[in-house]
Amino acid sequence: MNKSEDGLPPFVSSWRQLYLIIIVSLVLLIALFYWFTVTFQ
Amino acid sequence: MNSLDWIVLFLTLLSIVGYGIYQSRRDRTISSYLLADRSLPWYHITLSVMATQASAITFLSAPGQAYTDGMRFVQFYFGLPLAMVVLCVTFIPKFHSFRLVTAYEFLEKRFDLRTRGLTSFLFLLQRGLSTGLSIYAPALILSSILGWDILYTNILSGFAVLLYTVTGGARALSYTHLLQMGIVTLGMVIAGVMVVKLLPPQVSFTDALHVAGKMGKTNVIDFTFDLNNRYNVWSGIIGGFFLQLSYFGTDQSQVGRYLTGSSVGQSRLGLAMNGLLKIPMQFLILLVGALVFAFYQYVTPPLHFDNVPVQKIQATAYAEQYGALEQKHLELQQQKREQVLQLNQAIEHKNVSEIDALRTVLSESERELQGLRKEASALLTEATGTTANDVNYIFLRFITDYLPAGLVGLLIAVILLACMGSVASAYQSLASTSIVDFYQRIFVKDKTEVHYVKASRLATLLWGIFCMVVAQYASKFGSMIEAVNVLGSLFYGVILGIFLVAFYFKKIGGRAVFWGAVIGEIFVVYSYVQELTAFLWLNLIGCVLVIFFAWIIESLWPQKPKALMSTE
Repeated sequence: MNKSEDGLPPFVSSWRQLYLIIIVSLVLLIALFYWFTVTFQ
Repeated sequence: MNSLDWIVLFLTLLSIVGYGIYQSRRDRTISSYLLADRSLPWYHITLSVMATQASAITFLSAPGQAYTDGMRFVQFYFGLPLAMVVLCVTFIPKFHSFRLVTAYEFLEKRFDLRTRGLTSFLFLLQRGLSTGLSIYAPALILSSILGWDILYTNILSGFAVLLYTVTGGARALSYTHLLQMGIVTLGMVIAGVMVVKLLPPQVSFTDALHVAGKMGKTNVIDFTFDLNNRYNVWSGIIGGFFLQLSYFGTDQSQVGRYLTGSSVGQSRLGLAMNGLLKIPMQFLILLVGALVFAFYQYVTPPLHFDNVPVQKIQATAYAEQYGALEQKHLELQQQKREQVLQLNQAIEHKNVSEIDALRTVLSESERELQGLRKEASALLTEATGTTANDVNYIFLRFITDYLPAGLVGLLIAVILLACMGSVASAYQSLASTSIVDFYQRIFVKDKTEVHYVKASRLATLLWGIFCMVVAQYASKFGSMIEAVNVLGSLFYGVILGIFLVAFYFKKIGGRAVFWGAVIGEIFVVYSYVQELTAFLWLNLIGCVLVIFFAWIIESLWPQKPKALMSTE
């Protein structure tokens, strides 16, 4: 395994992609929480 | 608590302490004692980092916070995933390449000994004080359950952790964190399921959320930009980002966890997974608090959740006055319960106009009840002479009053285990910084590995005693989870500023960053004392001021930059 890829989970091809997943999941969570707030308030 | 609860509680705690001591048998060198020989995989790092951050305060205060203030506290963590990305890109490769034991060693390589000393000192001050608060949380539980004075339970809680942190090193810590997080997650899931099961048969999970939501407890997101509003999306993303970056990037209790990774990749993945899991976990803990609030709309809650001052006031001249408040509280609750049942009907029939009308009525009732609770707290404070703040008792009281035998013991164990996880990391980081950055670097050089391991163990013991003394004064603060974060915000921004200058401003030298940090810290403390802004922004202010003043000083009084040489 390439040293720079050590530790990457199997479904991710680069560290950059993993960082993008983290940021996108944050945006999705905020959207989901907004829905939650509006639905139950 | 009955005998089954005690058995569950003691078996769980003894197994963790025993396992910790067993895992510590291999640690004979300073590298193995403080960094587990840099051999651990990513999942150890993820769980260890989470166990270190999620203290007993998380499980005691957060549900109470949701009960009184709603779920908006989750926004505080929005900056965390972004901070994890910056750490993975910048901090981890640098720390690994220099083979550091503490983060502050890097500052001497980049600047000078004086800057390393100042930063280590700020860390020791901040971490020593906040660990005292982390000990106080479970001491509170024991005090309430056993009826003992908080002094004895503080000593007991702090000392129990010392039993395996003095003997156990980073490896023992990491393995016990794995077990602790497993039990803690199981316990909180069970607590969530139990709250829903305890709701009246006609009230479903979504009904409960509607009830909590109509009274402002599901207020997770607030997009309003307001510098004086503690929790909104912007303070969470911007202020929270700086706080989390500083906490994970420069606080040795966290740096020490991911430096145990077997490679840069394993440390990176460990932190990346924390970035994905932390917010959902915090949301679920707050959700339990909102559900507990919904539960108490059908069952009358106590006027004040801490039993100790309530029992004390009965023997004073204020007893009658308190009794009158309790009577008024009972009447208001009964009146509100009727309104809540009407709301359930309106929701079932999708009667929008009635829902809106009842929301207004319920909000008014809730405001009146909160006012009554405040009045009761003020009366208890006056009568007993000690601050009566019951936010941290709400979830605890629910557990002990309503959960079945066995589960009470398990959930008390969950809270104590969470405390042990974070306090153990804190003790170890305080010891490693004292020994590596001061004792070994300045006072006693060139001794054997065995000598420094022994010195680290002694330092752990001494810091444990210091933190227990701090815990004794922790009741002066309100919500402990806020108190810990306020304390962190006073120092973290400045510490982060120093590290950011080290990483990104290569022309700025040690002299400029040292004085920039001193001026920045004075301004942060002044801003807090004068209440110029909400505490989360202090992280950003401290960080920006250090960079700004360091840059000005360097421009006026330049210094030749130091050459950096990594070991890889």
